Amino acid sequence: MTDLSVGDLGTGKRERQALARRRETLSQGAILIIAIVAVIPVAYLVRSNLVLSLMTQAVIAGVLATSVGFLIRQSGAVTFGNAAFYGTAAYCVALPLKAGLSLPLGIALALVIPPALAYLLGLVIVRIPGIAFSMLTLAIGQALSELALKARWLTGGEDGFSFALPKTVVGLDASFLQRPTSMLIFSWSVLVLVLFGLSLFSRSRYGRVVAAIRENEERARFIGYQTVSRRAATFALSAFVASIGGVLATLYNSFVSPETMHWSLSGMALIMAIIGGTQLLWGAVVGAAFVFFAKDWAGDIGEHWQAVIGVILIVVTVGLPGGISGAMMQIASRGSRLFKGRGAP
Amino acid sequence: MIEGHNLTRRYGAVAALRDVSISVPEGEIRGLIGPNGAGKSTLIDVLSGRAENASGRVSIQGRDVTQLSAQERRVAGLGRSFQRTNIFANLTIADQLEIAGFTVSEANVDEVMAELGLLEVANEVAGQTSYGIQRRVDLALALIGRPKVLLLDEPAAGLSAAESIALSRHLRDLVHRWKVTVLIVEHDMEVVFSICDRITVLHLGQVLTEGTPDQIRTSPEVVKAYLGSAA
Repeated sequence: MTDLSVGDLGTGKRERQALARRRETLSQGAILIIAIVAVIPVAYLVRSNLVLSLMTQAVIAGVLATSVGFLIRQSGAVTFGNAAFYGTAAYCVALPLKAGLSLPLGIALALVIPPALAYLLGLVIVRIPGIAFSMLTLAIGQALSELALKARWLTGGEDGFSFALPKTVVGLDASFLQRPTSMLIFSWSVLVLVLFGLSLFSRSRYGRVVAAIRENEERARFIGYQTVSRRAATFALSAFVASIGGVLATLYNSFVSPETMHWSLSGMALIMAIIGGTQLLWGAVVGAAFVFFAKDWAGDIGEHWQAVIGVILIVVTVGLPGGISGAMMQIASRGSRLFKGRGAP
Repeated sequence: MIEGHNLTRRYGAVAALRDVSISVPEGEIRGLIGPNGAGKSTLIDVLSGRAENASGRVSIQGRDVTQLSAQERRVAGLGRSFQRTNIFANLTIADQLEIAGFTVSEANVDEVMAELGLLEVANEVAGQTSYGIQRRVDLALALIGRPKVLLLDEPAAGLSAAESIALSRHLRDLVHRWKVTVLIVEHDMEVVFSICDRITVLHLGQVLTEGTPDQIRTSPEVVKAYLGSAA
């Protein structure tokens, strides 16, 4: 047996795998287009502005929850502090507008400053494993929240401040950002693109290495990888996604306050990610939608909606380790097997 | 070649290595033996960058790597396996070897899989394979990129006698073909005496002696300190 013949055999396998990956990317591209287009009739069929607004807020919360779920899935790290990046992005949009500067500048700052901050913090805190990392993210989040609270001259303190959007944004009437119908379509499109981007990242060489680091950091070092910078970059990517959520929320609400940075928002995003499931990228979105509508429903029947969410969290943690998305995939898989079984001669 | 000069490593008040010097010339398979607690694994850890040395110097192919991290030493041409299987349990065998290949200029994934008989199980999740296969994956991760120096910490641990002998013979053949310098820690004396060109004996964190397998087998001080009737 020569090495060459064996090598050729293995290379053939890898070429087939690469081809399969390309096909998967193409099919995901098709799904992406369908997913974006599919929301348009929904947005126009729903007549209630209240429901549309709830859906828009759920989608924006889905972006924040995705940032948390992605970090768990990719890096194995649980963060209690992503609202800090969401909120920082919100202030990055709002403060320049308050000062009479342009919206694109604010959006650019919002998408650069929080991830850069996360990367620098990450270079220090990702070295600390497990629950201690989570506590550090909580501490950082609260520190930034306190900062926003105390700097009244800049942030308006606890009251926050509202601002007016310019009349046009990149040539478009800016009011589309505040109408529930158009904002639902826009936010949903952004969310779908975020999921697609994260999916590409997960399957990229870099993403696969980060997943290997999550699996066994020591071994990753001994096959030649600098692990800290990669984990910090993944933390920064998670913060970038949270920042996108912060930008969308601020544009939609035209208002910002320290509540956007509070740990309770980070906690809610984590609950959404866990309920939705973190094994699949879109799991957190399902969790966000579920929690938002459960919250609305529970709010209608009583004051203790947190208790209802708490019970749901316990049920999911104990009964559905893969979250709702994991259960959905299991049901789909069983249905598919059943269908194939019936179809067989 | 790999060299360690005057290496000292302490765990609190206990000196695991005391002024140890070792030099393994290019292409040689060097055995490292000694009783439990002699400092064998600590020496491998210090040489590979897993543990910091309190004093002393490490060089690979004449290049001082003392200040380099484990990953930098890997890129400098050093591969290592572990006493306890240290793999990516939830990744497929092919996937983790491919990832290991990203950091080296010559990613000989197929060659390594063929050499270690892993092609048939390439698409299996590593953690769901037998212990013997997992040991081979551990070794394969170290062999990707044809390292210049290979540090093996009990590669045959937990394998049956027949598997140990087969692995050690294959290993000897492979590293001679690839001209890899090897430092191997092994408790199985049959493996050590059958594959090593020379052997270094550690005792209480110091080098007791060094020589050919025949010299070590008949050395009275080695017999007294370690081998006993095993030789």
